[in-house]
Amino acid sequence: MSALSSTTSAVNLDSTIMTPPDYHPVIALARRMIRTKRLGAAGGAIFILFLFCGVFADLLAPYGMNETNMLVRLQAPSLTHIMGTDHLGRDVFSRVLIGAQLSMIVGFVTASLATVISIVLGVISGYAGGRTDMLIQRFVDAWMTFPDLVLLIVVISIVGPGVPQIIIILGLLYGIAGSRIVRGSVMTVRENMYTHAAQSMGASTLHILWYHILPNILPVVIVLFTTRVGAVILAEAGLSFLGLGVPPPAPTWGSMLSGTGRTYMYLGPWLALAPGVCLTMVVYAINVFGDALRDLLDPRMRGSR
Amino acid sequence: MITGRFSILIFLILLLLVPLTHPQALAEDQPQYGGSLDIGTVNVTLSPLSWDPVDWVWKSNHDTGMVREQLFAGDLDKSVRKGGPFSFIADAYLPSDAMRGELAKQWTWEDPLTLVIQLRHGVMFTDRPGVMKSRELVAADVVYTYETLRDSPKKIPTYFDHINDVVARDPHTVVFYFSEYNAEWAYRFGYGYYSGIFPREMADVDAKRWRTVTGTGPFVLERYIQANAQTYAKNDAYWDKEQIGEKSYPIPFVDRLSYRIIKDEATYLTALRTGQIDILEAIRWIAVDHLKETTPELKWNRWLATGGNFMALRVDRAPFGDIRVRRALNLAVNQQEIVELFYGGHAELMAYPQHPGFGEYFQPLEEMPDSVKELFSFNPDKARQLLAEAGYADGFEIEVQVCSCSPGNMDLIPLLESYLADVGVSIKIKPMEYASFLSAMTTRTHTPGYLMGSGHVNPTTSLRKSFVTAQTWNPSMYSDPVFDAKIRELHLTRDENVRIKMIRELTVEMLDKAPYIWLPTPYVYTAWWPWVKNYGGELRAGAVRPGPIYARIWIDQALKKELGFDD
Amino acid sequence: MQAFVIRRLLALIPTLLFTSIIVFASIHMIPGDVIDLMLAQNDISTGQDRALIEAALGLDQPIHIQYFNWVWNAMQGDLGRSLWQNVPVTEQLAATLPITFELGLLALIVALTVAIPIGIYSAIRQDTTGDYISRSFSLLMLAIPSFWLGTLVMVFPSVWWRWAPPLEFVPFFEDPVKNLAHMLIPAILLGLSMSAVTMRMTRTMMLEVLRQDYIRTARAKGLGEHIVILRHALRNGLIPVITLIGLQAPLLIGGAVILEQIFVVPGMGLLLLEAVFQRDYPVVTGVFLVVGMAILVINLIVDLTYGFLDPKVRH
Repeated sequence: MSALSSTTSAVNLDSTIMTPPDYHPVIALARRMIRTKRLGAAGGAIFILFLFCGVFADLLAPYGMNETNMLVRLQAPSLTHIMGTDHLGRDVFSRVLIGAQLSMIVGFVTASLATVISIVLGVISGYAGGRTDMLIQRFVDAWMTFPDLVLLIVVISIVGPGVPQIIIILGLLYGIAGSRIVRGSVMTVRENMYTHAAQSMGASTLHILWYHILPNILPVVIVLFTTRVGAVILAEAGLSFLGLGVPPPAPTWGSMLSGTGRTYMYLGPWLALAPGVCLTMVVYAINVFGDALRDLLDPRMRGSR
Repeated sequence: MITGRFSILIFLILLLLVPLTHPQALAEDQPQYGGSLDIGTVNVTLSPLSWDPVDWVWKSNHDTGMVREQLFAGDLDKSVRKGGPFSFIADAYLPSDAMRGELAKQWTWEDPLTLVIQLRHGVMFTDRPGVMKSRELVAADVVYTYETLRDSPKKIPTYFDHINDVVARDPHTVVFYFSEYNAEWAYRFGYGYYSGIFPREMADVDAKRWRTVTGTGPFVLERYIQANAQTYAKNDAYWDKEQIGEKSYPIPFVDRLSYRIIKDEATYLTALRTGQIDILEAIRWIAVDHLKETTPELKWNRWLATGGNFMALRVDRAPFGDIRVRRALNLAVNQQEIVELFYGGHAELMAYPQHPGFGEYFQPLEEMPDSVKELFSFNPDKARQLLAEAGYADGFEIEVQVCSCSPGNMDLIPLLESYLADVGVSIKIKPMEYASFLSAMTTRTHTPGYLMGSGHVNPTTSLRKSFVTAQTWNPSMYSDPVFDAKIRELHLTRDENVRIKMIRELTVEMLDKAPYIWLPTPYVYTAWWPWVKNYGGELRAGAVRPGPIYARIWIDQALKKELGFDD
Repeated sequence: MQAFVIRRLLALIPTLLFTSIIVFASIHMIPGDVIDLMLAQNDISTGQDRALIEAALGLDQPIHIQYFNWVWNAMQGDLGRSLWQNVPVTEQLAATLPITFELGLLALIVALTVAIPIGIYSAIRQDTTGDYISRSFSLLMLAIPSFWLGTLVMVFPSVWWRWAPPLEFVPFFEDPVKNLAHMLIPAILLGLSMSAVTMRMTRTMMLEVLRQDYIRTARAKGLGEHIVILRHALRNGLIPVITLIGLQAPLLIGGAVILEQIFVVPGMGLLLLEAVFQRDYPVVTGVFLVVGMAILVINLIVDLTYGFLDPKVRH
């Protein structure tokens, strides 16, 4: 009973963040998360740790990512190679670090692109309504009937594999799918009283979008962005399994796990362990972090693809 | 005296006990009928591409070679397992004395350009609903098959140019009139990729799909589930017999043969380990030790891959028009280290374009000139010097396409990248999936570097398809009119000893010109459960045609039960 | 209600049109078209007569004519023949669609059985250790790449106990037990990986419902906690979860590709993957058409059900 009442009060705070005036809202949010959302906060911490590794990967990595040395191939973890070496004698720890960098770059850039597309499409569709909305929504419907992975396979065989291609395709894919969620929020906001008031006071459309719509859909956008980072990392891993991921020797976690990790799972189990654990941990961390954000910012947000 | 009688008694008792204590020893001599045989073939990942012979797909024999028979086939009685000299590993090559008549009972050259083939009597096509009722195979079927293949729009040009006409002289005699001699005549229409005989009734069959595959062979195609399995049932009326010990037995022994199609390596290894497949024909060395450890009952055979691995360098583009650059790249790559460390010793330094299984046609590296040997040594200093001489002292950058369908090459390419980086050549790796990769080559749009594998096929074809001007499988775009003329002369040469000499010379010439970065050829492993009998790891009794081998295998079902597997 | 149904049906037409155009265009842009692939099958070939083969396959006409022919034939139930297998595409679809449907249905059952209890539990025990543990399980299943989980499930039981799920497909009506034995493991893995989304949805809905006025009223009336949850919260909270079935439909087909490959399930995903790799245009377009239709129909049914349950949605 006591657990129940505390939950209801936590959720009751709705989409506006109640903060004491002397705190920056981000810090306030972080404080609240640490206080009430332990799991989410832990997820956020892990996420930030990997982000740090990604940013400083070049400084932290003791070896080059494609520095082969056939004489020390397939060595178990030791002091010189703390995560062991792979079939070409490359240092797994260094590759996992650079992999973190790649995952973060791909994840963040793609999620940003997806978010921008979602906002543009969602705002146009949701704000304009009518015929425009109808047309855009039918297009989104059509788009969402394509199974993600298969669409990726088709497009990547057209343009060839590579980081920019993956970013653009996944960005489009998630962007268009996510636009529906943004549209939903825009429509809700539009119906709100104060927008009507602004409209009647003769404000320009741009003004309304910028000052009234955007700030109110921000929580949705933040949550959408966060979960997309995880989804992108997973999708890249799936592509690697099908042989269409980022080309070698780039050490993405997906390709390390599905390539050498699987091939050498008997001769060198550590080859799979490091990238596998990192990948799972980051995706898991992002998801719990995203869920916590969602609880705090926008409890109404509907399930998303 | 008493002891003598006593010992005779003991001897008699022992004699009686032998069948009881060694049931397996006895079973070895007495084949059993029944059971099913599940196989992960060398092409375990590939579904059949087409069931219509008119499509001229290379894999057709592999999938239909136990249904459609051919004029000639490998003589499995001469296999190493039966004390003979032949291993039956090569993908599409039968030495002339390893060949026997299958549908052909005998064949004679009536004159230098007229080949007369007597067909076996009493060979029956099976019943096939929608195609035909069972009837005897006659010469007209062979003529029909030939003409249908010849008239296909998908035919390989020049493939049958040596044949003027094929005529049925009587129901069991086929005559081939040649326009010129061709050293590959038995391969081109005999035991080759496009030689399976089908009935005339196919002319009235609209869609050549799997239900219409009809032949005279030991099996009939019973069921096909795309991307899962193709299943064949025993043809009870099959004509051929298998000699085991003193007796000959009607074949096939098993009731059911199944090709399992499994795309994932971990999955097909698991299928073998759990006895879901009886034979797995192609296992990478990486998996061998662990399989032996977890599944000690398995029996093994090792064979050298029947395809070469190389990075083709497009000689029609700078910088690879310059032989110094091509040789430099060969010197920069440490092939010996690849053999010893990348393949863990499970590879041969040089086994392409000729395969050691080609007998006299193959010349070992040690016997070759020093300039060829040099290409397989590691000498980065000389590589840099050659590059400098060619005007690339600062190196250059090229793109290299690689097929993501080849796990071996995907593993290998980062190593090549680091070797080449040491001499200033940086490569940009472009992995592609199978169709795009292949068509890049066939449409001549492939990148200057192209890391691929290519089958040995047979001694003549290996050279012709790879280096003759404008051939499809000539990824380095090699073109030399003198070489082309020599290849043509080779085909016209009847004397095999002369051909052997020519092929050795041409092989040395091509190795030396280094249109590829020559890479080692790995060993591959075949494993099977001990209940698979009358088998020793043979792979092909024709051009990628294992059908006759599988028809001769029998299953020791008691042993299978004893090892804890139900059928 | 009638007007709502008609409106939804009419809206399907432009969607289908968009779908078919995108598919048809993209598959024709892929480098390495089918003829090159067919030519490359042979060990030698010189200057083959491409035009002849193209004509035989109907690929010689302008692309828009090919497209209109395809649409016209499709409306008559003819999706052409596989360029490689010579089988009508409809026949291949009829063989693989039930398999994918079965796998999807099993996975959905698994997903719902796992997700709904966890979702409800973690909503009423929000931010407790129990919430964290049960939610973590579901999210971990999402976070482990399916090819990796599939590989582990495939390999380790076989190494330890010499056991692996059967890998030979047997049609359901031939031997249901063997069929299910083959399908069960991939279905569980697929279901587990899907459960996170449903779990999250259930949890969110439950949280929202739990703070509605009528729940407070029910509580205030002194009704027991279990009754409140079961009678009020659950019933109202689960209606929106229905929409998820529609949302996850593409995932059931697309996400299954990898598991179909590892567990050798000859479903539509694998058919499509193989057809894309072989450039078998009629098969690819046919599969997309049927998948697209199926997903649209599922969404339509879901919408209608939802509209039926909740009149507010009809506008």
